[in-house]
Amino acid sequence: MQKAKFPAIAATFVLCFGFWILLDFSFKPQELIAGAVVSLLVALFSARFFIHEKAGWFCNPLRLFSAIFYWCGTFIAELVKANVDMAKRCFGGCRNINPGIVKIPVDLKSDYGQAALANSITMTPGTITLDIAEDKDGKTWYYIHWIDVVTAEPEKAGEIIKGRLERGIRRFWE
Amino acid sequence: MLIRIIADLLLLIGAVFALAGTIGILKMPDTFSRMQASTCVSTLAILCVGLGALLYAIFTMHSASAAVKIAVIVLMIFVTNPVGSHAIAKGAYRAGFRPEKRMEVDEFRRDFDE
Repeated sequence: MQKAKFPAIAATFVLCFGFWILLDFSFKPQELIAGAVVSLLVALFSARFFIHEKAGWFCNPLRLFSAIFYWCGTFIAELVKANVDMAKRCFGGCRNINPGIVKIPVDLKSDYGQAALANSITMTPGTITLDIAEDKDGKTWYYIHWIDVVTAEPEKAGEIIKGRLERGIRRFWE
Repeated sequence: MLIRIIADLLLLIGAVFALAGTIGILKMPDTFSRMQASTCVSTLAILCVGLGALLYAIFTMHSASAAVKIAVIVLMIFVTNPVGSHAIAKGAYRAGFRPEKRMEVDEFRRDFDE
C-alpha cells in the first residue's frame, strides 16, 4: 500500500468537510472547528484507500461538466428506459424472460472508469456485472447476467448493454 | 399547490415501480432473475420517492437541512447498492446456485470451469 500524498489528503479533507457542513447545517465556529478536526483525522487515515491517482482530476471544468452531464442525463435516461422495460416484464407475469451470462469487451483503462461502468451496468435493471477479468492480451472483459439475451456475440451485446454508458464515461475517465 | 401535486405524483410513480420490483422478486424463477427485479426497487423507485420527498421538504416544510439529508440518503443508496449487488451475484454463482431454466448462454461457466 502506497503512502498517501498531500493532494489526496487535501481532496479527501474537502469532501469530508463538505459532507459535515451539509449534514450539520449550522455555521457556529465551534461546530466548524470540530468538523475540521474530525475531517482531517479521517482524511489522514483514509486518503490512501480513497484516491489512488491524480487528486485534481476533476478541477478541469470540461471533465467536471461531462461527469455531471453523464450522471444526471445519460445515466438517468438509461435507468428510466431499463426500469420501464423491467416493470413491463414483472407485470407481465415474469414469463417473457430469456436469461443468460454474456461476456463483453471494455476499452476503459483506469480503475475508476471500469468501476464506474460496472456500477452503472449493475444499476440498470436487467443487467448485473458478475466479474471483471483481464485476458493475456491485456483486454478487459465483463461477465454480465442479462435478463433478455438478444445476441451472444460479444461486440454486439456490448453495444446494446453499455454503448451509450461507455461513451459517456470515456469523456471524463479513460 | 402545483408543487404538492407533482410531489405526490412522484411518490406514486415510485410506489408503482416498487410494486413491480416486489412482484418480480416473488415470481421470477431463479436467484439471478430475482436480483434483477429487485434492482427496480432500489433505483428508480428510490429516485422518484427521494425527488418527491425533496420537493415536499423544500416547498412545504421549508427545511433546508431535511432536504439535504434526503439528497444524501439517495446518493448513499446509489453509491452502495451496485457494490453489494454484484458481490451477492458473484457469491451466489460461486456457491453453486444455478438457474432452474436452461440459460441461453453461460460464458462464465465456460471460462471459469469448476
